[in-house]
Amino acid sequence: MSAGSHVIAACAWVCLLTPLAAVCAIALGGNRLSRRAAGYLATGSTAVSFVAAVTALVATLDRSAGDRSRVTTAFGLIETHAFKINLNLLVDPLALVMMLVVSGVGTLIIAYSIGYMKGESEERRYFAYIAFFAFSMLLLVEAANFFVLLVGWGLVGLSSYLLIGFWHERPSAVAAAKKAFIINAVGDAAMALALFLLIQHTSTLDFAGVFGQAVLLGENAWLINLVTAGLLVGAIAKSAQIPLHTWLPDAMEGPTPVSALIHAATMVTAGVYLIVRAHPLFEQAPHVQQTAAGLGAATLLATGAIALVQTDIKRVIAYSTMSQIGYMFLAAGIGAYGAAMFHLVTHAFFKALLFLGAGVVIHALGGEQDMRKMGGLRKRMPRTFVAMLIGAGALVGLPPLSGFFSKDAILSTAISNGTYGKVLFAAGIAGVLLTALYTFRLLFLVFSGEESELVRKSLAKHKGTEGPRWMTAPVAVLALLAVGGGWLEIAGLWHPFSSFLEGVAPPFAAEPSVAREWLLSAVSLGVALGGIWIAWTIYSARRQQAPRAPGALTEKLYFDRAYDLLFYLPAVSLARRLGAWFERPVIERSGEEIGTGALAGGRFSAAIQNGLARTYVLLVAAGVSVIVLLFLVLR
Amino acid sequence: MSAGNILVWIVWLAAAAGCIGSALAVVALRNALFSALALIGNLISLAVFYLLLSAEFVAAAQVLIYAGAVMVMFLFVIAYVGWDKDIAWTGGPRWQTLGGVVAAAALLSELVVVIVLGATNDLEHADHVSANFGSPASIGRLFMSNHLLAFEVISIVLVVAAIGGVILGAQRRRERSGGIR
Amino acid sequence: MLGPAIAWYLVVGSAIFAIGAAGVMLRRNPLIMLLSLELMLNGANLVLIAFARWHGSLDGQVFALAVMAVAAAEVVVGLGLVVAMARRKIEIDIDLLSRLRK
Repeated sequence: MSAGSHVIAACAWVCLLTPLAAVCAIALGGNRLSRRAAGYLATGSTAVSFVAAVTALVATLDRSAGDRSRVTTAFGLIETHAFKINLNLLVDPLALVMMLVVSGVGTLIIAYSIGYMKGESEERRYFAYIAFFAFSMLLLVEAANFFVLLVGWGLVGLSSYLLIGFWHERPSAVAAAKKAFIINAVGDAAMALALFLLIQHTSTLDFAGVFGQAVLLGENAWLINLVTAGLLVGAIAKSAQIPLHTWLPDAMEGPTPVSALIHAATMVTAGVYLIVRAHPLFEQAPHVQQTAAGLGAATLLATGAIALVQTDIKRVIAYSTMSQIGYMFLAAGIGAYGAAMFHLVTHAFFKALLFLGAGVVIHALGGEQDMRKMGGLRKRMPRTFVAMLIGAGALVGLPPLSGFFSKDAILSTAISNGTYGKVLFAAGIAGVLLTALYTFRLLFLVFSGEESELVRKSLAKHKGTEGPRWMTAPVAVLALLAVGGGWLEIAGLWHPFSSFLEGVAPPFAAEPSVAREWLLSAVSLGVALGGIWIAWTIYSARRQQAPRAPGALTEKLYFDRAYDLLFYLPAVSLARRLGAWFERPVIERSGEEIGTGALAGGRFSAAIQNGLARTYVLLVAAGVSVIVLLFLVLR
Repeated sequence: MSAGNILVWIVWLAAAAGCIGSALAVVALRNALFSALALIGNLISLAVFYLLLSAEFVAAAQVLIYAGAVMVMFLFVIAYVGWDKDIAWTGGPRWQTLGGVVAAAALLSELVVVIVLGATNDLEHADHVSANFGSPASIGRLFMSNHLLAFEVISIVLVVAAIGGVILGAQRRRERSGGIR
Repeated sequence: MLGPAIAWYLVVGSAIFAIGAAGVMLRRNPLIMLLSLELMLNGANLVLIAFARWHGSLDGQVFALAVMAVAAAEVVVGLGLVVAMARRKIEIDIDLLSRLRK
């Protein structure tokens, strides 16, 4: 083991455990810690994680391309004679990408929270939870076997539940948290079943072991399809793709930094990470992989359409997140793993930027999130406007911003891969149009036009800066990243990102030619500009004449209603019936009856204590006769 | 069956009838005076038994002390308290009466069973005893030698009882009305 | 020995004892209760004397005399109580003295 390898292992552990240490410190410190201190602790710990991740990256780059995986073991968790699971961490290029995104963007967002959550009565709880989330997500991405990954998976679900329901006095927040948790639980169950099958057939859950036997597993079509389907269902639930997507819009009940970190940049991309990580398995089950791509395409279209009619600023961005993750699923589904991961990284930058910028607006307007009440903020908050414009441009895919490079990589790979690929491409292009429409609708509604009343009232008090320093600085950093983040991978010129990932996730799809890539970029750019123009005509100048939204879209395509009918109502009625027929008569009544029975028994026994001496004599005589009888019998 | 035997049997049966009958009378009669008189009858019948069992001194003591002194004391008190009052024969909870009878019957039956079981084996042959058995001299000798401690303790008990009787019977100068209740 | 065997005496003694026990448990007049108590003691005495005869040992008779003395002492105290009750105009009824309750 060279020194570099020790460094990598140490960095992996530091990166993982520092946020956990922060959680313990905040939890144990309690009131002795000031609220600011809790914020600094949380931010500092993720910053340390980021430094550790960068160090690990440098050390890994130092090694030759084929030697970039390093597994480090802490201790054994489960050991049977047939089967063994250890607490292993894996540091390889794919894990490093995720570690950097989680810790880097995480640090920025947690720093932002110091400003956003200032004055909250339970700030410390917030920072403890969000540091716990950082730890769980890092555990997920650094896992070297499916078991630890599943543990991290469950813990991020828990953190998400805790943070969505952070303002637990609000019933809507509590309901949203429950909804998120339950839908994620469906995914977790499917994943667990897939893991059981893996254990049964491979006796191991280590990535190296399982992926080494992937071809062998692939010979059993039922098995590999079931396993990958289980993993896919888990990924769909976590990444909020159709049909398990209904929890994400409701999750906007949580604080805005939470929406930025968990529900845009990191947790929801865990599904994509899973598919890319388990790609040897998915490649053996082409039907499941194609289903993943198809669901991604369906999601990007459906959610893009629904985003057009949303009035809450955060919900638009939430639906946009689902749509963009649809792109990532599309890419992973056709085997363009590098493209999928690249889009994941750039999306983390510009989506976090959009959320945090929206947070600045919401904060300035005193908590208002309805876009219909906003307008004309451009003059009052110019810097925020610029930041949001950058984010919107990156999202739509305007060069030279980051989204341009990553999205086009996906689209061009799609079209190069058979008829199915061409269908997916068509969906992707339609998605570009939708994206441009809803994004610039948001921008125009919020920033252009005349100042609305609400804006006038709220910003009359604000003089000078648009928001606290802790909030504006991370936004600025993210804006820079959104601008320059895409330059890691320019088609035809240089691609350090995909070559970095090639060792771990070699592309499965046919590579498009450079000329084709640039041609398609032009096409999608044209479509995007067209969408922006449409949005401008409707929402900027002649706002009043926006077409009325069809009912299906405002009802979010009836998914929530359908799930209510299929699952919620039967469950509630079953619970009520069980309560009436079984619980109250049997369980509660038996409890009561034990009580009344004891009382009755007591009253009965108390009759003996009637205070009459004759009774006591009787009792003595009776006792003596019984004892004599016993003696007689036992003689 | 010799003549002496038959005579003894007749006496025994008469004494037994007297015992059991007077015992039942003690328990069953409503009038306390008659109950006390029935008990005197019981004591005399028992004295006859004692004579049959070669316990002459004890029989004498029984008649003299028990029937002669203790029961007279009883009669004094009954005379003082009165016997015409209509006190309930029995009462209390329902199960008390039944339980009492049942418990007593159970005890009796168990004892009889034990005795019958023993009668076939151990209780067959009584020891031969000398003519001095049960005479005052032999009893006295025992009291003065083996059972001296018992003798002294009994005398202390009697003294204590006498003192207790005096205290209980004493009248206070200032009698408070209300009493123990 | 002439006459019935020891077992007969024992049966009679047990019968007197049992009748006395029933009397204690059943009657409410304290004087009758005391008389029944005396019955029980006498039943035990008879058994003692019978066994003394059977064993050929006088210890039983000595014990019976001791029992008689103790019975006398107990009667003194018991009757003293009854007299005290009567003097204070309390009803002569055992069931009314139920402070042992609770």
